[in-house]
Amino acid sequence: MLQLLALHLLAAVAAPAIMRRFGRKGFLPLALVPGSAAVWAVVNTGAVVDGRGPTLDVSWIPALDMSLSFRLDVLSWLMVILVGGVGAIVLGYCAWYFASGAKFLGRFAGVFVAFAGAMLGLVTTDNTLVLYVFWELTTVFSYLLIGHYFDRKGARRAAMQAIIVTTLGGLAMLFGFLILGEAEGGSYTISELIAAPPAGGGLVTAAIVLVLVGAISKSALVPFHFWLPGAMAAPTPVSAYLHAAAMVKAGVYLVARFAPGFAETPVWQWMILLTGGATMILGGYRALRQHDLKLLLAFGTVSQLGFLILLVGQADRAVALAGLALIGAHAMFKAALFLTVGVIDAAAGTRDLRQLSGLAKHLPWATVPGVLAAFSMVGLPPFAGYVGKEAALEALVHLDDPMSVAVLVVVVIGSILTFAYGMRFLWGAFARKKGVPDTSVDKEATGLYVAPNVLAFAGLFAGLFPVAGETLLAPYADTYPQGEPGHLTLWGGFGIPLLLTGVIIVAGLLLMLGRTAIERAQELVSVGPDADRTYRGTMRRLDSISVAVTSITQRGSLPVYLGLILLTTVVMIWTSAYAGGLRIGALKPWDYPVQAGVAVVIAVAAFLTARARRRLKAVVLLGITGYGVVLLFALQGAPDLALTQALVETITLVVFILVLRRLPAYFSNRPLKASRWWRAILATIVGVTVTFVALVIPNARVTDTIAELFPEEAYNFGYGRNIVNVTLVDIRAWDTMGEISVLLVAATGVASLVFLRARAGRVERIRDHDMDRGSVWASDSPGDDALVRRSRTQPVRSTRNRRWISAGVALAPHRRSVIFEVATRLIFHTMLVFAVYLLFAGHNSPGGGFVAGLVAGIALTVRYLAGGRYELGEAAPVLPGLLLGSGLFLSAGAGAVPLAFGGVVLQSAVIDFHLGYLGDVHLVTTLFFDIGVFLVVVGLMLDILRSLGAEVDRQGEAEGRAAPDVAHDSPRSTADDAQPLEDALAGGGPR
Amino acid sequence: MRVSGSRKWLEKIPMVLWLTVLWVLFWGDLSLANVLAGALIGLFVMTVMPMPRIGFEGRVSFIGTAILLGKFAVDVLLASVQVARQALRFGHDPHGAVIRVPLRSHSDLYLTLTAVLCSLVPGSIIVEAHRLSGTLYVHVLDVPAAGGIAKAKADVLAQERRVLYALATDADIAEAGLPPRPWKRGRTDGPDPTTAVGPSGPAGDDQAVTR
Repeated sequence: MLQLLALHLLAAVAAPAIMRRFGRKGFLPLALVPGSAAVWAVVNTGAVVDGRGPTLDVSWIPALDMSLSFRLDVLSWLMVILVGGVGAIVLGYCAWYFASGAKFLGRFAGVFVAFAGAMLGLVTTDNTLVLYVFWELTTVFSYLLIGHYFDRKGARRAAMQAIIVTTLGGLAMLFGFLILGEAEGGSYTISELIAAPPAGGGLVTAAIVLVLVGAISKSALVPFHFWLPGAMAAPTPVSAYLHAAAMVKAGVYLVARFAPGFAETPVWQWMILLTGGATMILGGYRALRQHDLKLLLAFGTVSQLGFLILLVGQADRAVALAGLALIGAHAMFKAALFLTVGVIDAAAGTRDLRQLSGLAKHLPWATVPGVLAAFSMVGLPPFAGYVGKEAALEALVHLDDPMSVAVLVVVVIGSILTFAYGMRFLWGAFARKKGVPDTSVDKEATGLYVAPNVLAFAGLFAGLFPVAGETLLAPYADTYPQGEPGHLTLWGGFGIPLLLTGVIIVAGLLLMLGRTAIERAQELVSVGPDADRTYRGTMRRLDSISVAVTSITQRGSLPVYLGLILLTTVVMIWTSAYAGGLRIGALKPWDYPVQAGVAVVIAVAAFLTARARRRLKAVVLLGITGYGVVLLFALQGAPDLALTQALVETITLVVFILVLRRLPAYFSNRPLKASRWWRAILATIVGVTVTFVALVIPNARVTDTIAELFPEEAYNFGYGRNIVNVTLVDIRAWDTMGEISVLLVAATGVASLVFLRARAGRVERIRDHDMDRGSVWASDSPGDDALVRRSRTQPVRSTRNRRWISAGVALAPHRRSVIFEVATRLIFHTMLVFAVYLLFAGHNSPGGGFVAGLVAGIALTVRYLAGGRYELGEAAPVLPGLLLGSGLFLSAGAGAVPLAFGGVVLQSAVIDFHLGYLGDVHLVTTLFFDIGVFLVVVGLMLDILRSLGAEVDRQGEAEGRAAPDVAHDSPRSTADDAQPLEDALAGGGPR
Repeated sequence: MRVSGSRKWLEKIPMVLWLTVLWVLFWGDLSLANVLAGALIGLFVMTVMPMPRIGFEGRVSFIGTAILLGKFAVDVLLASVQVARQALRFGHDPHGAVIRVPLRSHSDLYLTLTAVLCSLVPGSIIVEAHRLSGTLYVHVLDVPAAGGIAKAKADVLAQERRVLYALATDADIAEAGLPPRPWKRGRTDGPDPTTAVGPSGPAGDDQAVTR
């Protein structure tokens, strides 16, 4: 069972490669995958009928009662054969349906196979939560398949509509499952739920309604029916599979699955009757006026789905048997009809029945399956559809409760409509019409005709041997609560059912003959509210509500956000201080007097930062506060923290300056005097609050600190002496995992904001640099002091002006610095070796992946600063996404490896081995986790340099101006901003 | 110009040696395993993230290096005291200047080392370097304290001489117009040392910009 699912998953992943290798013929090997599921079911037929089908129960998440339990009973067996068999046939059809040069076939094939796998899991699982998972998987995959032609607006809209409607139903169903699972006597196992339904009561009733909402949304019943015709934007094989045989059957399956347990509940019966009945009639009625053959079939499918749910939702055994037989019949004839339409579409270039004429003569091998399948659909003997419908009529006639009579009436009316639109389909597709010239058809490959014929003839054979169907399906129908077992037969003798069949045929033919009048009448009379329009209106209202809410809560003003956050912090802290009676305990001013000196420097720098008018000045002053903290850490005896803080501070400075190049030199003057006072007051309050917290916390401890345990635990379980690093990679490894994921998201966010063009572009190497198109960092008017570095014509000796770094020549001459270049060359590898040392040493002495990544990042930064963006490309000719992704993969992978050895996720182990003369090697597995962290940090740095550095440079050059020079900007040139010089001249002085 | 593979590898040796020494120093443990690991990691780093090929054609002299480092240490010490004294003398306005010093060697490497060492000595800092003419622009914190413009310039050139004596080949030294290393003078017949030491140009050539 799990092997089959794994096979689907593997095939889905491998599909793009297979399609690349074999082209469209790659569909054929892939068809074997769903085919194998059908073969598996067929092989197990005997056991299944005897009630000894294979089962499997693997505990997955016991805390949630989620287990991978699967079982193959008669209903699952039927569904697996349909899902797998039709899936294989339709995939085979795809090999000829798509043009040989069609694009995105790899993705299509992969999603298609994945969908088949999800469907397989859905119909075989015995756990409601797992069923929900597969349910939503089918929703997502169908979204992708409907939206296959993503460049068409209609396809995108239809896909979105389908996913929203079915997810809505899916969520309702999940709620229902949760209630059923948590209710008294409830369970998350389907078989237990059916065997012993939880005792009635309002809650269980609500659960039934919710589960049915899921089923009817998936099966496109009224009032959710509108998404299915929209989904016809998908390629025809998708329509044939998802919207005829597989996904829409999930709702029918769910009803059939739960009916033995719940079909006697009144709410169940009413919902089934109303939605199923309304759908059957409405679908048939709408199908009568469609001109597009595919839409005609779509509305027909809607009608048939209502019919199926109406039958399998009844409590009676005979009706259920008829319903099960019709599930099989419908899968065959409807898939065959869709595929036939696909052939017609391909051959004639249109699906409009007003333009098609004379295809019966020109496309005989499309006509045969079309006629056979349509006869099965309208219920003519000796096809499978007839057997099912006869059994349904027979069973319903023998029941005399009011509900069954109502069902019978609906079925008869619906069947009349079905007969009419079925005949209209045949006439529209194949007949020679008056006044319409014969449609010219292209010759299609023989392979294209195989699939519809196979399915149509299968429907014929299934109908010829009704006893076989009865034997196979009866065991499940017998689990229904009421009535006599039913029978499937071609000839039930003279009686009311036969009479009704006659009525259906005659009335259907009459409707067919009066089709023009009916079309016209339908155009004139609109029946009830249009569900599609209601849906769109709802979505529009939702959109406008969300826009309104956003505009109220997200003002877009940074001061407002910050002010709110800070104010909340202050209010909450003082509230809890007041309520909790926090007090400041004994205080010690300092451990060493020098700490006070550092604190004064930090305080002064912080104050000046807030006062600074110039952005660069503020950043530098901010850096001083940061380096002051480095000193404090170092004085406190925390070399690890000091090292990390120093590196982070350095990198922050670099990033700030990269950003500042694109900002005006001075802060804006906009805030008025009054608001400035408010800000100062808020800042003071926050400062006082934070100081208060810092004073309270050391004395607020009520239990012993766990920090005392860390040194020993870190060594015993993390095998390292550096507590900080062991904390990061072992004790709090989950936190680190989360943090590097956030880093990755942040890096991607920054890059996607800066990269207006595709981010996954190539790395710019020096060989891409075109000397004639200008140099990096050239500017029109370099400062006077820059003139010094301009090259003059002078005799150059071999040892002068050499190529110290790879891409220095790409820089504008006055931007180059020989000292910088030579120094970069000398220290680059040294820094890298230092980074490697930190990476390896981190477990026992200061260091670790994070710090090592920062050092390597600074090494790259030095290369960029010395040689510009081409130098960066030479230094690290990889895309940052590769580093980020492989880093996260390595960390997560290293975390998962212990599972294979019976450990828990992120557990660390130690490996010791001897290398002879070289001594012993002591390898702790967390090193691999740390290497992952290292790669993520390097990737982040590279991403920042590439986006805020190189890409900003490139955009500046493309706009014809270099990024402004922070060090040299003139106050006069910062146009839209503050004009401090003018202010000063006006006598106001800096405010 | 095609270079044979062995030559390519030979050029890497000094850097690999340096990285190996560094690695051993990082671990603080001289063992065969550490030396091997250091060499391997050095080679790995240089192969994975290469820099353009550039040969080192100097010749390291241990005596010269010792002199260079020793004098540098003394300079740093003395200059630190001097600058600290200036900083603490209230009322004293230091008389700073940017002076132009054309170096005598013809190598980017020696220019850079001279510049870096000069910058590291408190009181003087390199504000600009012109690579094609090999000229340094040095800011001197207080010209009188440095002994006048000529002395400041001579100090920079002396620094360069020590760098050359520590690292350059005899040919490079000769090309720069300097006498051969004093401790080798017995073996090689070089020009008379007394004539070549000191600033090469007339003192009036110094261009000083006083602030």
